[in-house]
Amino acid sequence: MKRVLSNKWSIMVFVLPTVLFFTYIVIFPIFKTLWYSLLNEIPAKVGDASHFTGLTHYITMFTPGRRNPFPGAVVNSLLYAALSIFVQLPFSMFIALLLADGPRGESFYRNTFFIPVVISSVVVSLLWGRIYKGLLPQLFEAMNWQVPKNGFLGNANTKIWFSFIPSLWQYVGYHMLLMYGALKTIPEDIIEAATVDGASGAKLAFRIQIPMIKPMLKVCLSFSLIGSFKLFDTPWVLLERSNMDLPALSMYVEMFSNHKYSYASAQAIFIVAECLVFTALLNWVFRESDGKPGKELARK
Amino acid sequence: MKKILALVMALAMVMSLTAAFAEGEPVVLKVASIWSAETEANRAPMLKTLAEFEEAHPEIKLEVEWYEANAWKDQGETLALSDSLPDVFYWNAGGVLWNLVSSGDILALNDYLTDDIKDQLIGGALANMTFDGKVYQLPYTNACSCLYCNTELFDKYGVKIPETWDELLDAVKAFKEAGVTPMALGGGDKWPTNMYTDIIALRFVGDEACRACYYKTEGATFLTDDWKEGMTAFKTLIDLGAFPDDALSLTRDESEVPYFNGEIPMYVHGQWFSGSLSPEMQQKVKAVKFPAVGKGYDNQWMGGPAEGFSVSAHTAHPDEAFVACQFLAQHQSDNGFECGAGLPAWKTEVQCGNPVMNQIAEQVATGDSLLLWGNTALSGDDATLIGDTVYDLLAGTCTPEQWCEDMETIFNK
Repeated sequence: MKRVLSNKWSIMVFVLPTVLFFTYIVIFPIFKTLWYSLLNEIPAKVGDASHFTGLTHYITMFTPGRRNPFPGAVVNSLLYAALSIFVQLPFSMFIALLLADGPRGESFYRNTFFIPVVISSVVVSLLWGRIYKGLLPQLFEAMNWQVPKNGFLGNANTKIWFSFIPSLWQYVGYHMLLMYGALKTIPEDIIEAATVDGASGAKLAFRIQIPMIKPMLKVCLSFSLIGSFKLFDTPWVLLERSNMDLPALSMYVEMFSNHKYSYASAQAIFIVAECLVFTALLNWVFRESDGKPGKELARK
Repeated sequence: MKKILALVMALAMVMSLTAAFAEGEPVVLKVASIWSAETEANRAPMLKTLAEFEEAHPEIKLEVEWYEANAWKDQGETLALSDSLPDVFYWNAGGVLWNLVSSGDILALNDYLTDDIKDQLIGGALANMTFDGKVYQLPYTNACSCLYCNTELFDKYGVKIPETWDELLDAVKAFKEAGVTPMALGGGDKWPTNMYTDIIALRFVGDEACRACYYKTEGATFLTDDWKEGMTAFKTLIDLGAFPDDALSLTRDESEVPYFNGEIPMYVHGQWFSGSLSPEMQQKVKAVKFPAVGKGYDNQWMGGPAEGFSVSAHTAHPDEAFVACQFLAQHQSDNGFECGAGLPAWKTEVQCGNPVMNQIAEQVATGDSLLLWGNTALSGDDATLIGDTVYDLLAGTCTPEQWCEDMETIFNK
């Protein structure tokens, strides 16, 4: 067995079927979608009537106009990405650091924070829907505060923010668990040595623990970035029907309500491209520390 | 003993086989129906219809799949892309039907529709299901919207049930002053708002001009004073606070709860709403024609047969599928009306047990015309647009003038 696996050719033969299958169901459809996005609108079905229109759909997509929600949707998704990176991830990190320290009831807290991840997004959205439509207005009333005009989910200026909160809240536990797992793999002796040298609390976290789990931070960052661009379920359930406030929502409505298959394909390709660009950017930012968690530390 | 038993069994098997050959295998048809939820008013009548079909047509076996209405709409569109629609299926009329007709997925029924069958339908029943003279659907229900007034609340606050636009505004003001939300509205779903804007527009613009716009007839335009006046009238209702403060975030179902609880006095919605009223509420609620504006369009109604059963163009058994389609449509029309789920689209002797439904049936029978709702007559992104624009009107992010300009863009394609 060892001999077979040490032969590079035999590995290739074993991997090939999977690669072909993967190409057929993932890579090929992406290119097919790209091709559709360059055709003119096809009435209900892909037929002979379609012909090449080049980048028209991409230009329409970004032509500003009162009735073109797509540029705004992209901005919203970037806002959500920023919120995930600058609020959700630091918060997850904070909890992970606390839990990794081994407090009393560690596993209880860990499991509790993880529960929202296990619940379906639709259930989470319905739950928060009740909070926004029932609990929160009552609380505001009791405290004599002003409820936003048209309610939390109806106010044009605030609704998108309120629809972000449930999914931010939901995935805190997910990132917390990833970071917590990574923190737990840091060898005891390093922590001990640092403690002996007088590092504790914030210093220990920022100088030892966080630099040592950089590869995991990269994973978390990729997940939350890509997740932000694809965000669909929570706003779909919480906000008004057929809203197009995020790229994935807009793509869905254009495809299944408006039957603009080519235009929706163009939006889909934009989302794919956006994810790829940001993943590449992330790889570039993290290029140094990849696989060498100690390097940064050694330099300091 | 064993041998005798074996012999009897073998005999029984041979007998049943010959019996099957003698009668012929029943034709199996796939049917898609909405009303998957037990609470749907149309569910029980549909089950009755299916039982009646089984008895009347043993030679045809129906395999029914149940869906939730919106889920079926998406599922049907997807199945159509792969030519795998069920043999007979529920579908909307108007623009939604046109989507599938234009892609060649629906069988034209003209060859099967004899004059005898046509005579059994109510007048104009096929209007929303006919394209280029070909009929693609048979309706099982007639639809219309009206104003539902909770007489208990009207009596309690001493308000008159409005018959004119001014009386409606007075009623709204009176209820508002008493601290009662005057009208129910689930703006989050968008289409319930169209129920209000459509009927108001009809009163100001009239059937003919509305119809021209919704069916994109040449020369039609939204840029008229009548349209602007209609939308401004709707804006007046918003500004008076006629609707719940959080109407924009309420779904249709959520918005109806206070009405069912007897907390909201007025609601403009389709006739199907009367089927959702509890027997107790049916005694309190009075369904009336939407108030008159005095422009000569006051006896016109929004609605018309807008839902029915269609036959897939790809069915292997078109003859049997038509038989099933007609049977389901006609019997569902009777059974649905009998239990108050809908108005009949076929002539009938049946009486309805729901007094509110009877009020609607009586009034709509004397109406001048029936016009399909804008979001049903229009299709694709035009239908989305009319939902989006009324949502924006309600949210205050669009003026009546902008509404007209936005809607005018549907003609520029």
